Amino acid sequence: MPDIRLEDVHKHYDGIKAADGLDFSVKDGEYVCLLGPTGAGKTTALRIIAGLIDPDSGRVLFDGEDVTAVEPEDRRAVLLSQTYSLFPQMTVAENILFGPIIRNWPEEARNKTLANMLDMVRLTRRSDAYPRELSGGMQQRTALARALASGAQVLLLDEPLRALDARLRISLRHDLRSLAKSLKITTIHVTHDQDEALVMADRIAVIRNGRVLQMDTPMEVFDRPVSPFVANFVGQSNFFQGSVVRANGNVEVRDEQGRAVFARAMEVEMGEKVVVGIKVGNTEITKEWEGYLQGVVERILFEGRNLFIDVMVSGLGRFSSRMPAGKKGEFAVGDKVSIRWAPDKATVFTMRDRSLDDELRVE
Amino acid sequence: MKRIDSLIDFISGRNFRKGWHVFIIAFFLIFVILPTVYVLTYAYTEWDAIESGVLGNKETMDIIMSAIAASFEIAAIVTVIDFAVGLPMAWMLVRKKFRGKNFVDTLIDMPLAVPTAALGFSSAIFWATTPGAMDAPPFAFGAITSPMLLIILLHIVFSYPYMVRSLSAILEQIDETYEIAGQTLGASKLTAVRTITLPLFRAGLITGIILCFSRSLSETGGTMIALATMANSAGFNTGPTLIGTWKRLSETNPDLVPQLAFVSILLIVVALVLLIVLKLVVMKVRLPMGKVWPTPEKILSRGLVPKLKDGSAVFFLALFILIPSFFIFSYVLTSSASLGDWGPFMSSLGYSFAIAAIVTAIDLGLGIPLAMYISRSGSKRISHSLDVLVNVPLIVPTAALGFSLGQFWTDQSLVPSVPTLLIIMAHVAFTYPLVVRNVAGAVEEIDPSYEETARTLGAKPIQGFRRVLYPMIKSSILAGAIMAFTRSLGETGATQAVVADVVTAPVYIVDLVSSNQFYLAGLACIILIVVSYAAMLFLRYMTRKKRRVV
Repeated sequence: MPDIRLEDVHKHYDGIKAADGLDFSVKDGEYVCLLGPTGAGKTTALRIIAGLIDPDSGRVLFDGEDVTAVEPEDRRAVLLSQTYSLFPQMTVAENILFGPIIRNWPEEARNKTLANMLDMVRLTRRSDAYPRELSGGMQQRTALARALASGAQVLLLDEPLRALDARLRISLRHDLRSLAKSLKITTIHVTHDQDEALVMADRIAVIRNGRVLQMDTPMEVFDRPVSPFVANFVGQSNFFQGSVVRANGNVEVRDEQGRAVFARAMEVEMGEKVVVGIKVGNTEITKEWEGYLQGVVERILFEGRNLFIDVMVSGLGRFSSRMPAGKKGEFAVGDKVSIRWAPDKATVFTMRDRSLDDELRVE
Repeated sequence: MKRIDSLIDFISGRNFRKGWHVFIIAFFLIFVILPTVYVLTYAYTEWDAIESGVLGNKETMDIIMSAIAASFEIAAIVTVIDFAVGLPMAWMLVRKKFRGKNFVDTLIDMPLAVPTAALGFSSAIFWATTPGAMDAPPFAFGAITSPMLLIILLHIVFSYPYMVRSLSAILEQIDETYEIAGQTLGASKLTAVRTITLPLFRAGLITGIILCFSRSLSETGGTMIALATMANSAGFNTGPTLIGTWKRLSETNPDLVPQLAFVSILLIVVALVLLIVLKLVVMKVRLPMGKVWPTPEKILSRGLVPKLKDGSAVFFLALFILIPSFFIFSYVLTSSASLGDWGPFMSSLGYSFAIAAIVTAIDLGLGIPLAMYISRSGSKRISHSLDVLVNVPLIVPTAALGFSLGQFWTDQSLVPSVPTLLIIMAHVAFTYPLVVRNVAGAVEEIDPSYEETARTLGAKPIQGFRRVLYPMIKSSILAGAIMAFTRSLGETGATQAVVADVVTAPVYIVDLVSSNQFYLAGLACIILIVVSYAAMLFLRYMTRKKRRVV
């Protein structure tokens, strides 16, 4: 199975930069998620890899070989669209046999592949059904079987779980990943759902405005985001703006009102304007001790396993905290509380010219 | 097998595909659009001849002006009537459930399969006062003495299906929940429909108006036959019949060419201007639909009125569309046989079929690729302008188109002026858009991800089309083919205008009627109708058989 590399790929549509210097590589057999908000250029990247869009400039390499001008049918990189695009006039078996027939395989090899594939996706008994007669999960499995039967070496999944209902979507995450990993197929999976990307990917590429902001393991992307945008998009964050007052060891940041917070050690200059980002799950609130910031509980949301508490801090806005649902009853709207976090869970970002609002905007 | 594979490889290459696109667009521009509007250059190059031969000649001018005025008046009246009676029918077909709905649905399309020459004869026998020699059945209506009224009645017959189809197509897309929401908010049925649904109607209305108007403006064969069948219609002309008549005379009298050119130019220009105005006006102008009269509209929404409306829609369909279409059968059954020589008709029928078959084949072979280009691969700007241009031959009256095309090819003397070749090219010019429109419309409805997925699975573009897209758009291709075939089979105006002395079946029927051989003409019409239906059924059967048993 090939490794894939995009080199400085650009694509513009009527003034919109869908790919603005895309540059990343995917290792042989790796499962990579392209994560980003709607319109970030994720699908464009996928379609450029599939060969369905010609980039304006830049190269696409499979195993080091330039395939930028190679037709989609010769790339062995199969696209699975959001709706699976199962051919409605063909049965499950005919859909799966599409690739083998197009590629003129001998009869015997075709039948063997078909039997294997049906077995693998547990659809042997529905092989004569038409796509419209299948459930969403079965349709997805058929589309996967069809892709694999065609001899795919790269799977390009465009929001493959989106059309399914919530419960199934979560249970299929594991199935999809383990299938791809067991076949050692290089997989690129586009999604705007951060939970999905965190659970499924070997590595996540966070994309925005046609550029890769950060490409790393889920843990790294979550714990060590490179920008406030990544911090907020992958697991919601709270932010605090101020200037650096202590830079050796944990960084201390103070705002104009003299409120000070701490974050893990980073190379920053004294006096530099910075933003401290802290994940809502790492933001603690309490009534017992004095934290970094003081506020009033404004809203309590109970979401089954978790409790979200919004605290209004005067002059700074709303800080959110996520905590286990067991803490229900400890806080009430109107309570005066204190906010703090473990300094090594907070990240300092230097803010060049951009305002925080611009940085966080999800188009 | 190997040879086919390498052929597929060859035509899938990027260079071939690029060249093929250029070829398809060039074909469309050079063989369809350019000849259609070529005659407009006469206004520039031959202005002196037009000025002295036409503008200076008051008598000729009067003839031309009254014919052109009659054409546009008829087209306008027909379109208005079609809308008024087509709307309730479209409404019934889409929103109501009743017994025999499928049957009514099929009946609507029947006039489309009857060549207009046969329709003209059939309607005229039913409606008009006919000469004694004709021996019309005693139960015919037989009281229309105004040629204009007769032609209006005739044109309604074959334009009505277009209006009903266009309106019901758009109505099907308008969500009924809007009306239901309006009604739950306190509006009566009529108020809800009038203020909410009707304003959403514009797109379908424009299509319907354009189709009806241009069909009526174009029609030649049926009009000529109806006028010839009627007693005392001499002197009445529409634009297209004038072109047909003069083109014949111009074989012996070349002085008529400037006049022909002038009539054609007028028809083309006015038709195109009207199209543009229509598009601008109907899309931009706000209809004063906001005003509401709750009490009278509530009364009109209940009880007898809606039933009366539906009943009269069906009554209209029966009396004004179906009976005139098929009255010819009763005429041939009741009148005394007077058989003449069958030979010429049979050979003209064979000739017409051969032409229609070749034309349909060309339309499909070169029209589907253009439709694909418009709806899939083209850059937005190019495909949009092609999409607009495709409509031009549909709007231009076929007689003017035929004359223009004939002049174009003979002036260029690029092709030998073989009559059959010219006729085929003329028929391609006005049937080609029918195929392109139908196919492009269907392809646009289909999510491109099917073909894209097929390609990533290893299918070359042509294989993806053949195996994935084609099965999904087959019925639209068939519809386009049937339209092209029957239009070519029934066409009189373009044929006469491009070559004066070639005898296709409709032209032959016109000749029979003009020479008072009514019985023979009636039989010929019936044969034409039966054969048209048979061809349609055959085409349907052929495409159905290919579908695998599932």
